[in-house]
Amino acid sequence: MNLKDLKDRYAIVGVGYTPQGRVPGRTTISFHLEACANAIRDAGLRKEDIDGLILYRYFPTPSGEFHASAYQVAHRLGITPNGLSQEADCCRSHIFKAMGWLEMGLCKYVVISYADNPLSSGADFLIRMNDIWSDMHHVMYGHFGATSMFGMMAQRDVHTGRSCGPEAWKHIAVGLRKWANLNPAAMMHEHTMTFDDYFNARWVVEPFRLYDNCLINDGGRAYVITSLERARDLKHRPAVIMGHGLANPSFDDAQLKRLERPSGIKLSGEMAFNMAGITINDIDACEPYDCFSWGVESDLIDFGFFGPGEGAGWFQGGTTEPGGRMPIGTSGGLLSEAYYMGVTPLTEAVMQLMGRCGDRQLGPKTGNKEPEIILCWDKGGLPHGSMSTTILRKG
Amino acid sequence: MAYEKPLPQVNADNKAFWNGCKEHELRFQKCQECGLVRWPPSIICPDCHSYDTGWTEATGKGKIWSFVVYHVAYDKAFESELPYVVASVQLEEGPRILTNIVGCSPAEVKCDLPVEVVWEDIEGGFSLPKFKLLS
Amino acid sequence: MSLNDLRDKYSIVGVGYTPQGRLPDRTVMSFYAEACANAMADAGLKKEDVDGIVLYHSFPPEPDQPEPTPYGVAQHLGMTPSGLSHETYCTRNVLFTAIGWLETGICKNVIIVYADNGRSGNFLGRTFGFHSQPAYGHLGLTAVFPLAAQRAIHEGITNGPETWKYIAVGARKWANLNPRAVMHKRTLDFNGYFNSQMLVEPFRLYDNAVINDGGRAYVVTSTERARDLRHRPAIIMGLGMHNRACDFQQLDCKGRPSGARIAGKMAFDMAGITVNDIDACELYDATTYLVETRLIDYGFFGPGEGEDWFKGGTIEPGGRMPINTSGGMLSEAYFMGVTPLTEAVMQLMGRGEDRQLGPKTGTKEPEIILCGDIGAATESEATIILRKG
Repeated sequence: MNLKDLKDRYAIVGVGYTPQGRVPGRTTISFHLEACANAIRDAGLRKEDIDGLILYRYFPTPSGEFHASAYQVAHRLGITPNGLSQEADCCRSHIFKAMGWLEMGLCKYVVISYADNPLSSGADFLIRMNDIWSDMHHVMYGHFGATSMFGMMAQRDVHTGRSCGPEAWKHIAVGLRKWANLNPAAMMHEHTMTFDDYFNARWVVEPFRLYDNCLINDGGRAYVITSLERARDLKHRPAVIMGHGLANPSFDDAQLKRLERPSGIKLSGEMAFNMAGITINDIDACEPYDCFSWGVESDLIDFGFFGPGEGAGWFQGGTTEPGGRMPIGTSGGLLSEAYYMGVTPLTEAVMQLMGRCGDRQLGPKTGNKEPEIILCWDKGGLPHGSMSTTILRKG
Repeated sequence: MAYEKPLPQVNADNKAFWNGCKEHELRFQKCQECGLVRWPPSIICPDCHSYDTGWTEATGKGKIWSFVVYHVAYDKAFESELPYVVASVQLEEGPRILTNIVGCSPAEVKCDLPVEVVWEDIEGGFSLPKFKLLS
Repeated sequence: MSLNDLRDKYSIVGVGYTPQGRLPDRTVMSFYAEACANAMADAGLKKEDVDGIVLYHSFPPEPDQPEPTPYGVAQHLGMTPSGLSHETYCTRNVLFTAIGWLETGICKNVIIVYADNGRSGNFLGRTFGFHSQPAYGHLGLTAVFPLAAQRAIHEGITNGPETWKYIAVGARKWANLNPRAVMHKRTLDFNGYFNSQMLVEPFRLYDNAVINDGGRAYVVTSTERARDLRHRPAIIMGLGMHNRACDFQQLDCKGRPSGARIAGKMAFDMAGITVNDIDACELYDATTYLVETRLIDYGFFGPGEGEDWFKGGTIEPGGRMPINTSGGMLSEAYFMGVTPLTEAVMQLMGRGEDRQLGPKTGTKEPEIILCGDIGAATESEATIILRKG
């Protein structure tokens, strides 16, 4: 099969939410179960229909909690799926894995689920990520966490002039917060942010201030993927996968070769746009992987929305905000809604295309175009080991 | 005062590198087939997949490729040094290594500034290669 | 598309070995790199041709080493593959993931790899986090299977050691023909089996797999592309997968039928054959007990009939149903499902050397080999039927 043949073959048909933010008295596995069960019900399916389950990523569970393995989740959901997987690290191959199983006929309906319990458990999120670095000779120099690894790349980008630095990033942070202010489920729903607030926030690891960083929260999110054909019989209008791409540059941050060669976003983006047969001019909104504000700027350059050094100008005047010409991160994103890695942007795109976003629904309510096609992306590995791009269209 | 920072993880792949550091020598693997000087240490050359490996000594000179400045201490052992600089240094021989920039204030650190290695002897007989700005 | 349409569409075209046994001067990353590089070279592929890498579940690394990640492995090999994944907690869908990627067209050639330095490190300690109930002293992988086996003995499915001895001794006889095998130089007879230390009753030492350092990898691609490569391909005739996904405390899920029943039916249906067409088996022999139960589930004999079936050297060199011809995980090397599958490939390629099925070992030359892969404490099961290309 040709990659292009995948266009419009598969769709996302349901989303499962859980409480999110600081949610004490819960375990990681309980969030998986709730997210999965809700996604299955949301799709109009029964658990017996589910024959594929992919847990987005392994984390060591906070102490006192039993392993949140794919087996445990499947057992407690009462399913015995043909396809079962849990990604050990940060590869972003989930959708190709699901599409592959569906294409093979191994599965008919696949659930993909992310859940974690870092806030209430006090588990040190950054140190848990720290454990999975490979050959990086970091810790003796005091190099920890994702902020610093992305910050290293951002610093270089600012030096070369590719990135406009905080003058671009402030728009990203403030814009996402405005979307969160329209989203009652968003962790930062009740906190507004001005440019002054952005600049006055403390440094974390320079060049990143506090609001350049994504949230850490308890909770889970899941979605169901199936063939477009099967999707037509289900509850909601499907969010059709028009294009999808995956690329793994696989270089560690000390080498930072990623900034000298086409990034995983550029490559996976090209794959996705080729499959979809469209260009960025056809995109109505973006749901980014906004782990760090700089990343969004960099990815938009890679996709071709603007050129190196043009970010600050492009964002000016509320481009990405409610009412702007290119809405970005309409749930509030990882920066202001909730951190479920790539599941956050993807599920928001699905909800927007299904017309279920309430006060933040793209369209007359927010002064935006009603979306037909939304661009989503996902980034994994520290810093950029694995990236995927997904183009969804209204079903 | 006891050294509380994390020590290097020494294993079969990087042992020779850390032994070199003990002698204040920056050593890297050099592929005997294609000549690539590689980092991180590995049994195999990532370019040509040859196992034929020698070691070469680097001059210790390079440029700051990029850096960050820590304002939070993820590990308490680093608290007294805040703010401190972690950098990726591009060595003359090719590899880029992670390290600290020492001997100056964070505000003086910029990308592409030339640097050279200085050695910090720490616990366990280890020595860490760190870098200072060339005046 | 239906699963059955996949029959014969994909093949295994190369195997990568590393040294194996006790190798304290090697890191786990070095085994990953070597196994993958050797598998590519064996297939006649350059690294630029390989665009997918799937890592089996890896145990927590030794304290002196970082966790192996797929992008770390790719970095060591100088590759930027389109498909990358690393399973956790022993789910056994790796080959399905690889074939799915080949089907969708994102990859053309995919490597599947396992590596560990269990022998030089603290293997069992690293498995303790999984399926353990430490408060009860119930620790690690060696504990789970005996619990299930005890029940199986009670139900008359097996009579235990009087059957398992054949499996342990048979595997050792194959290992004695295989210079790579960890137990190559050590013979084993029934006395030796019974006199070995009782570990977690009813399992003795030789009911369990060896623990070793090393790695193993193989390359899977389309049968069409396979024709241009170095060796005759081992064609994937049938595939099946099932995840019972039961909490190990709900022990009945380890009774009848296992995931092998369902996965086996899927694979035999796809292949369009029956158990009578099988010439040899390469089964997941983390314990002797698993081999017996899977043979029951695949239909070679019924519950309680094991001892008679194995009697007289059935599975040994010269026997009518050779099983685990490299020595298996019991006597060759433990690389999870990669051990049985790669041995089947080598046999079908005619590269088994002194242990080659055929005239050399007084067995039938194999056309079709049945392989099994079991994950965790049997929660995840895959069946693969390979045929000579």
